[in-house]
Amino acid sequence: MATDPMAEIRASFFVECEELLESLQDALSEMDEGQHDDETINVVFRAVHSIKGGAGAFGLEALVGFAHRYETVLDELRAGRLAITPEAMKLFFHAADLLQDQVRAARDGGAPPADAETCLQELEALIGGVAPAPEAEEVSDFQPMGLALDFGDLTIEPPAPNQWRVRFTPHDALYASGNEPLHLLRALGELGDCALRCDFERLGTLDGFDPEKALLSWEATITGELTEGEIREVFDFVEDVCDIDILSNEPSQEDGFSDMALPPLDTGFTPSEEITDPLHAAESPAQAVPPEPADSGAEVAAPREVAKEPGATVRVDLDRIDRLVNLVGELVINQAMLAQSVAEAGLAPNSSVMTGLEAFMMLTRDIQDSVMMIRAQPVKPLFQRMARIVREASAAVGKEVRLRTEGEATEVDKTVIERLADPLTHMIRNAVDHGLETPSERRAAGKPEEGVITLTAQHRSGRVIIEIFDDGAGINRPKVREIACRKGLIAEDAVLSDSDIDNLLFLPGFSTASQVSALSGRGVGMDVVRSAIQALGGRISIASEPGKGTRFSISLPLTLAVLDGMVVNVADETLVVPLSSILETATLTAEDIRSLGPETHVVHVRGVFVPLYDLGAELGYRSPKKNYEGDIVLLTAHENGARSALIVDTILEQRQVVIKGLQRSYGHIPGVAAATILGDGQIALILDPADLVQNASGHTRANQLSLAG
Amino acid sequence: MTSLTLAPRLDLTQVSDMATAIRAHAGADLVLDAGQVTHLGGLGLQLLAASARHWRAGGHTLTISPRSPAFDEALAIFGVSLDDIQSEEAA
Repeated sequence: MATDPMAEIRASFFVECEELLESLQDALSEMDEGQHDDETINVVFRAVHSIKGGAGAFGLEALVGFAHRYETVLDELRAGRLAITPEAMKLFFHAADLLQDQVRAARDGGAPPADAETCLQELEALIGGVAPAPEAEEVSDFQPMGLALDFGDLTIEPPAPNQWRVRFTPHDALYASGNEPLHLLRALGELGDCALRCDFERLGTLDGFDPEKALLSWEATITGELTEGEIREVFDFVEDVCDIDILSNEPSQEDGFSDMALPPLDTGFTPSEEITDPLHAAESPAQAVPPEPADSGAEVAAPREVAKEPGATVRVDLDRIDRLVNLVGELVINQAMLAQSVAEAGLAPNSSVMTGLEAFMMLTRDIQDSVMMIRAQPVKPLFQRMARIVREASAAVGKEVRLRTEGEATEVDKTVIERLADPLTHMIRNAVDHGLETPSERRAAGKPEEGVITLTAQHRSGRVIIEIFDDGAGINRPKVREIACRKGLIAEDAVLSDSDIDNLLFLPGFSTASQVSALSGRGVGMDVVRSAIQALGGRISIASEPGKGTRFSISLPLTLAVLDGMVVNVADETLVVPLSSILETATLTAEDIRSLGPETHVVHVRGVFVPLYDLGAELGYRSPKKNYEGDIVLLTAHENGARSALIVDTILEQRQVVIKGLQRSYGHIPGVAAATILGDGQIALILDPADLVQNASGHTRANQLSLAG
Repeated sequence: MTSLTLAPRLDLTQVSDMATAIRAHAGADLVLDAGQVTHLGGLGLQLLAASARHWRAGGHTLTISPRSPAFDEALAIFGVSLDDIQSEEAA
């Protein structure tokens, strides 16, 4: 456990940064899709601003410098002085990516990204080529110059120096969340020459007075060289729990709020004249109701709703969750042991112990599900990383690519998400580099120049399906076949179906790119992707249609902590076979078994011959039996579509088992994925049928020679 | 004249208790002792202002004395004068 409080605060700052970066990406994507409302832009601004603020507290100067210059440009956007063009959006995205790099560099002590300066300069060119801003906080020095050049009629910020009227009305939530108007008003007063008036209009006497209800509001008149942004900055962290109306050069009006305030309950009340004097130079009432308050009111109301939506969350150390997951695993095992002891004790099925145990079993299952849900996380951050990969990859090869994502809220075990990043990155790069055609080829094919890669996630029957498809040219099957022949992966005259050819892509050492490109030809092929997916207990398949595109589907288990398995018995050993790999079970008849060669058999299943493997013999528990008639086989399917029949002695049950890793202690054992502890305390191996079959001898008949020898 | 000492921190944590305490003295002249106040928050301010109105309506005086420097400073930041939170009405 970390004990240094500063390190913990720092760590939580970086966790917050990740969340802010996520919301930054979200809002940018929304803007990219044409949502240009104030709130979306504000979210972008706030994210960058908050990162800057936090970084400042930790003295992360490079990060502060970058965020500051980015923020300055965004501020122009927020003030409506900068148009949102596709070029500008690209730069905003790029800057967001670099900001992420800066955050990572600050966290891990790495070097900040090299092209940061270039990007910033391009960004600043958007707002009229502001000279590189100083690293420090000196916004006000150059900003008014830019403002002065701009058209006053469009902006709500006239040139400085000026007078601002700020109306600040805290909500109950502001106090309830521990914020204090005193500090906000003090900060406001420090901005410039500030005259403040407290508005007691809504306040009554102590009759029916709720001391925790916010009833006061304040109106300040500030004179000085400052922008609306600087005033808003004061209220940055309470924006969603108060109303702030900012008006410029609009003198205060008594009548201005009498229409929305309650009538004074006490005639004896007089506002404090000496402080409010400058504001009391009343103008005509018509002038006093400017259009802005209604607009700003609505603008402030929107974030409040949005802010409440995600619900309360608690940030918990991952170690603690893992511990909980482990404990629940133990609980499940213990419960199974208890169930077994009770069964062995020979109690009546309707005895109170048995019914109590049943309820206990259901509770255990519920607890287990709930704990697994804690580990589950939405795939959204992963998809956002992919969006970045698409942007970078498409820029590198000069293609216009748009990534469309669906099902970002789909939740998957955290470990699965982490280990999915590399394979997905590779597949996305492949899609950009090989899948999509060049703009000119696309035009010639009558497609829009911009290629589309779609990334989707969904839950389907207890598994997660992740699909990546592009609208490119599809797999060039003759070319794939030719390359496979040339590399000696298939025989010249091999008869292959379309899907067989597509699956050649997964063979080790296969690469279709005629020349190795900087992007995806890195010696990492689809075979590595496939083995990474398989290591997660997943399957990957490929489908392609010429001219229409290619689709990769990945099917993954929801969690790596438990597994639905079939418990079987082989040569008095108990084994678990993952249910996901079993197609069906059958009893062998004499007609089903055919010999193939001197030592092997095949089984005839619905017109197809499937190789037969004796689990007992393959695992070295016994020698092959003389006759398999009447034995039970599990028909298993593998990722590549191949099937095999595994002989077991008896099927005991189907149940959920807790996975206990073996790799750390024993390394990789061929054919064995992990182990589990059964109800009777016995350890059972969890098999990996695909791996087992790959390494199997296939001996289902005793070799006469070896017997003799 | 009755005197009531205000809690040092007049914020969310204290205002409910303070409001009950002040209400209990309604109907007579009262002196609030703000000499211990280290923090006067927005909720504390509105409690005092509402009390002043209550006392005024009842025709009694409500005086705040003594006052700590922190209390006076907070009043200045809030843009509030002493008249807003006291009642001069003589019984």
